[in-house]
Amino acid sequence: MTIEDEPTTATTGAGGIGYDDHVEESRLAQRAADKWMIPGTVLMGTAILGVFGLPLFLRGLFLQRRAQLGGLSVRPTIVTLIGYMVMLDGALNTFGWAIDLFASHTYMSRIFLPTWGNMFDAGYFWHYNELAVGGAGAPGEKAWEVLGIFVVFPMRIAACIGFLQMKRWGHQWMIVTCWTGMLMWMGYVANMTMYADIRFTGVVFPVLGWWIYDIFYITPFVAIPYLHTVNREIFTD
Amino acid sequence: MIQQDREKRRALILLQVVIYGYLLVMFLIQLRLWSQRGW
Repeated sequence: MTIEDEPTTATTGAGGIGYDDHVEESRLAQRAADKWMIPGTVLMGTAILGVFGLPLFLRGLFLQRRAQLGGLSVRPTIVTLIGYMVMLDGALNTFGWAIDLFASHTYMSRIFLPTWGNMFDAGYFWHYNELAVGGAGAPGEKAWEVLGIFVVFPMRIAACIGFLQMKRWGHQWMIVTCWTGMLMWMGYVANMTMYADIRFTGVVFPVLGWWIYDIFYITPFVAIPYLHTVNREIFTD
Repeated sequence: MIQQDREKRRALILLQVVIYGYLLVMFLIQLRLWSQRGW
């Protein structure tokens, strides 16, 4: 266990506040920080409003850091960053894919998704809105969307909530969801490669554009080593 | 560091190599296809 893994311990200081006061103060400080970070993450999760979400998130992170330096027992920063990063990943994927699956004929979908397809991934351009179920027409894409929207991402967001509350189940489910994320991306990237002709023919930035954009979606499983080596006693029942 | 921790760390490093190696291979295959087909 490293120092970063340890929740900040109480420093009673000159005022000599009691343990219960310290716990209550810490809880309020954490809550005040989360009140900024949660809306910030949700806004970033919409992608389009991301530019408004980032300052809110950073404000929350600043408040948490200040509380930590003030000696309060708030969540370790690494847990905060991993929890919100994975939550953001779940939100981004859910919003984008849910729009493609359920709202593919709206103006927003018809503007943003084929434009994205034209630039980076023709899976969102080729026969867009022409198949029985509208939206992306790339082989296999809809199956990944169903898996993501109904199974993987809701589970992931629930895991993040538990993880950020530093519950034992949150830690366990965070491990599960990071592994499912890895399985999903290994399959999805294989699918992209198998049908590369469909996905990259005629796009503005083939291959490189997709990888530069999607690498941020792919990487949440970098948390796996941390999750398996952190002292799990810091997560309570 | 006890033996179990050492083995766990080794397994996690191996896991990382496998995952990122796999992604790199897929990326290189796509680059190769790109150069062949001129998308």
